Amino acid sequence: MDSLETFVVDSVIASEQEFYRKIIEDNLASLKLAPAVGRIKVVLRPGDSLFQMVIILRDVGSKIKTVDIADVESKSFAKKIIISIKTEQYIPELLEKLWEFYGKANISQPDRLTVVISTDRSEEEAAFIREMMVADPRHRIHENLVDFAIRVTPEGFRVRYHLYKGNRFIFVASEEALKNEWIVEAEEMLEELTGAGEK
Amino acid sequence: MAVLSPYLYTGGVHKHGLLIELLEDLGGYLIQKVVTGTEVNLIMLIPKKDVPIVKKQSDKLLGIITEAPLTGVEIAIVSPTLASHHLPHSACDVAESLRSPGANTNMIGLARGMGRRVSLSMDYERKLINEHDIAVFTFGAFSDCIINKKPKLFEGIEIPIVVTGGPDLKTEEVPGADLYVGNIGRTSHRLRKADEVNALDKLSKEIGKIADDIRRQQSKDPLSVIPAKVMTEIENQIPEIHSALSPAPLTLQLDGIRVKLPYDEFHEKIEKLEFDEGVILSELANISRSKMKNYILIKIKSKSEVGFAI
Repeated sequence: MDSLETFVVDSVIASEQEFYRKIIEDNLASLKLAPAVGRIKVVLRPGDSLFQMVIILRDVGSKIKTVDIADVESKSFAKKIIISIKTEQYIPELLEKLWEFYGKANISQPDRLTVVISTDRSEEEAAFIREMMVADPRHRIHENLVDFAIRVTPEGFRVRYHLYKGNRFIFVASEEALKNEWIVEAEEMLEELTGAGEK
Repeated sequence: MAVLSPYLYTGGVHKHGLLIELLEDLGGYLIQKVVTGTEVNLIMLIPKKDVPIVKKQSDKLLGIITEAPLTGVEIAIVSPTLASHHLPHSACDVAESLRSPGANTNMIGLARGMGRRVSLSMDYERKLINEHDIAVFTFGAFSDCIINKKPKLFEGIEIPIVVTGGPDLKTEEVPGADLYVGNIGRTSHRLRKADEVNALDKLSKEIGKIADDIRRQQSKDPLSVIPAKVMTEIENQIPEIHSALSPAPLTLQLDGIRVKLPYDEFHEKIEKLEFDEGVILSELANISRSKMKNYILIKIKSKSEVGFAI
């Protein structure tokens, strides 16, 4: 599925649709969610104080190990491990994990893409670091998705329902007590959106 | 009394003291001086007939002098709440665009202003807003909310109300508003596209007209003393004001002045402020505790109320 192959914002008044579309675009961009979202549909009904949003996520890939993003080399004579990073994106997560295991005093970073660890058991530790899980994109996306939903909803709509299952996300928010039919409607929207790609 | 026109000078720090001296000699007032690095911004009130003289001096110093129609106006930018939905864009962008023509702006986030049915304002908030000259309410993208639901936030507001929002509405459609400016709704990006910047320009221009209207109304029954004169006297007689750390420690309003010093300690000194004409400030103005922090609020009485003007 390509990113953002469907992006629908539905509202009673056309000019407000455009306005809201821009808000959603901006928030997708600032939370770096755009590559992860495949299809999105938002329905606004200010008259009913209702906000419905359904999202189908793209396959975001599996967990990331150190070996996927860096070369790990052990120097047993010098009692050091040298990590040369290839993918810059995950440096913060990698450093956090390493600090936790070896302490900040034993880790130096001579330049942006190189990390040096001082350790007595360089061979064993290097093997461990290679297989260490650095980041789980799914977890990160879930966090961002919830944040995104809260940011794009009109602020007063504090009664919320959300469902996150597999790669599907449903979010319904209102100012009043939620009606069951609104959630059913959102589920139908999701069905429709799932079908949209299969045609 | 000489008619004073507001101007903004932007130029280098070098020799800008000459301009201030000239201004004082002409009987004008320096409202605010902001030094940033090697640049200085001076907001001044210049006697109308002497403007060419000041312009000549500013040209000599290679500075730029422009009209600042919102000088001496304190504006409240009211946002439904302080959540990320409304800030920093667009409420801050609105405030910024009003500061460049000379206004002093305060951001006020209501505690429970969000939503449709549930939005409300508190007595304290209404009083705080009423201390200003003009209130600007920054609303969102839905015309239904702006027309039918949000105007209840205007209840109890006695100063002119300006509303900004996304949809293109007419002022008459928004009950209770004195001015509506569209195209500045809820956004999550900086307002820098041509149509957005145009809307901000329109907003500051229209607010300038409202301020002029208030000034015109005021000129029918003038104030017993102009706020800028009170400001100068406070600077001369209360040295502590120079060590106040608040931005714009003396904030001018159209009919008064906000003194950013603690009320309990300084209100007596302010009340006993003496003028050359032999009167003290408490004869000419109401001095009260401001709702903003613990500041002092001076509201100057009109000539008809006092019986004379200085």
